[in-house]
Amino acid sequence: MATALRLRGVTKTFGTVRAVDDLDLEIPRGTTCGFIGPSGAGKTTCIRLIMSILFPDSGELSVLGHASALAAKDRIGYLPEERGVYRRMRVGAFLAYIGKLKGVPESAARARASRLLERLGLAGVEEKRCEDLSKGMLQRVQFVAALVNEPDLLILDEPFSGLDPVSVRRMREVIADEQRRGVTLLFSTHVMSHAEELCDHVVMIHRGRKVLDEPIAGLRRQYDVRTIRLEPLDADADVGALYDVPGVASVRRASGGWELRLVADSDPVDVMRRIPGLVVPARLEFARVTLEDIFVRLAQQGGAVRDEGALRAHLQGLDVGASA
Amino acid sequence: MRRILLVARRDFIATVSTKGFIVGLLVLPALISLVAALAPRIPEMRRPVSGEVAIVDPTGRVSAHARAALAPDAIRARRLAEARRVTAPVAGAVGPVADQAIERAVGQAPSFTVVQDGPGDAIDDIRAWLLEAGSASPRLAVVVVHRDALLRRADGELGSYDLYTSRALDEAGERALHESMHEALVSARLESADLDRGAIEATLRVVRPEAVLVTAAGARSSSRGLAQLLPFAMGLVLFIGVVVGGQSLMTSMVEEKSSRVVEVLLAAVSPFELMAGKLIGQLGVGLLVLALYVGLGLTALYSFAVLGLIEPMLLVYLVIFFLITYMVFGALMLAIGAAVNQPNEAQSLMVPVLMLLVIPYMLSPMIGQAPNSTFAVVLSFVPPVNTIAMMARLGSESPPPAWQVWATALLGLGAGIVATWFAAKIFRVGLLMHGRPPDLRTLIRWARQA
Repeated sequence: MATALRLRGVTKTFGTVRAVDDLDLEIPRGTTCGFIGPSGAGKTTCIRLIMSILFPDSGELSVLGHASALAAKDRIGYLPEERGVYRRMRVGAFLAYIGKLKGVPESAARARASRLLERLGLAGVEEKRCEDLSKGMLQRVQFVAALVNEPDLLILDEPFSGLDPVSVRRMREVIADEQRRGVTLLFSTHVMSHAEELCDHVVMIHRGRKVLDEPIAGLRRQYDVRTIRLEPLDADADVGALYDVPGVASVRRASGGWELRLVADSDPVDVMRRIPGLVVPARLEFARVTLEDIFVRLAQQGGAVRDEGALRAHLQGLDVGASA
Repeated sequence: MRRILLVARRDFIATVSTKGFIVGLLVLPALISLVAALAPRIPEMRRPVSGEVAIVDPTGRVSAHARAALAPDAIRARRLAEARRVTAPVAGAVGPVADQAIERAVGQAPSFTVVQDGPGDAIDDIRAWLLEAGSASPRLAVVVVHRDALLRRADGELGSYDLYTSRALDEAGERALHESMHEALVSARLESADLDRGAIEATLRVVRPEAVLVTAAGARSSSRGLAQLLPFAMGLVLFIGVVVGGQSLMTSMVEEKSSRVVEVLLAAVSPFELMAGKLIGQLGVGLLVLALYVGLGLTALYSFAVLGLIEPMLLVYLVIFFLITYMVFGALMLAIGAAVNQPNEAQSLMVPVLMLLVIPYMLSPMIGQAPNSTFAVVLSFVPPVNTIAMMARLGSESPPPAWQVWATALLGLGAGIVATWFAAKIFRVGLLMHGRPPDLRTLIRWARQA
């Protein structure tokens, strides 16, 4: 498969801070890659390097077959993390202007912008001034600006932050359409669940360095199942017998039931078989490993986690005001 | 190039379509032109005062002269002569159009009817006469000539006159009365001394000739009045064009940065394209302003029939030096706009840049008076102030040699290239920088980094 994006040994330093450190990355065309990591990890700097908004101190880049995004900007759609529009410009004129900058004829840009605005629940806002729209509406307008040129490479930096659930659903539908059209999607987020739902490949960045570069399916195989979730048919059932099952390390209350943590070398299938004989289950399943778990585990291995609770809240998008 | 022109077009339209721009730069000159066009006609619109003036003349020898001096034709003739005397040095060559303008400005003279059988010189009599109702035309004033108005006193001085007026006399009428009484008293005094007024006036009159400028190319008459104004006017036009273009360049850059739209733009264009587009767009704004003010100036000169005093080459130089000056100051203003987060943060960085524009502009009248002095010559070779200094010299009566003009242009161009290079460095680093506004040292560090 042809490569849409390739980085080799890319490094970028600001003063004494190494924002991106010797980064290698390769994204095949037509795939969706999650660019994940907590705020401040270096994701946005890396994207700005890809977009030739910043320039690396060392290393090589290839974007859609060109040595720099400057030669391919007409084929790239980019939604920056920092949202911005011309406040006094009308929405239709703004989107047409961005389209024209990317080589799309004005009439085609306006027509495509209208279709996308309608799909995102913003039909008829073309004649409104940008300053008259709410923050969430402006975010969707900017999302349209990233798509107005029908890009081959779409880079979305934290696209869902601050949006209501309905708007998130509408944007995800449009993203799904773009994926079907064959766009290469680089999706940057610090909220791991978003990446899990959208991506077939993830690259984790932590402190400017790549700590993981795997397909989601491979990750689930690689990071073994260590937890079983049990919801008893009788909510008051005695689960004391579960402590004696070989291979169970701990049993603790979890939302709507119990969570059994297994010891490292146990056979999860054997444990699973034994449970129904002890407690009648309404639901019994292996807890799928989450990106959040994987990230925390990787960060712990690197000795970089001081407060796991705060880190998990951040990776679930529960903190406010984070920036890369 | 397509992207550069698109950015330039949007920037130009966004700037010239703002209310502030239209009010500040189009409506204001339009209003000034309107006032300038209407002002000379205001005297025509005003009905001159008309009424009776009583002259109490105990000497018996002033009233005849006063009657002659107060005649409308005499008042008008005096005013025309005075207006021509005042405007002649400024206009240089006063053509028929200027003559008409002067006649319009002088307007109609007041109409005084001099009455002999007025009141006595007692104040009660004067009050009674001035306030008496029922006369056919309004009573405007009583002039009481001093008894010693024609005779030299012991201290060597002569007497004068007292003037009592009613509310019906306006300011223009009072001025005409004073002028006429001055004329009447001078005539009466000369007559009583048996002196020939014509001979005395001829003795006092020294006709001031128009200076003839002698150069290697030949001799031509010079117009010092205009020569003093032109360098200042040239400096002013250049200054306004560059300041307006540079200021709006800085403002639009700060707006784009603070509204964070700049990263959206950089997703579509390169930093160089964005910078070049903005420079060209606001260059258009500066040129529009320049064209507007030059057009107004030329229209004014045309209306006074002295358009020929502006050499076409001067306008060519004006455009060339405007482009160079804009290149230097526009690039610096753009760099400042890219470096700061809010317009108010730009003030401290803008002051030294603006000073470099203001100082030569303030000096331009002095440069125009001594265009080939060592100071003027040196200043016209020191970028970035050289262009305005050279423009002032070009507008003077003794323009510099051609090699100096082109040397200034080349030096200015060099300064423009350096300023643009510096601005491009700041632009690349500063665009996405937010936080504490940088000082000059930080800007230099950025330029080294980029």
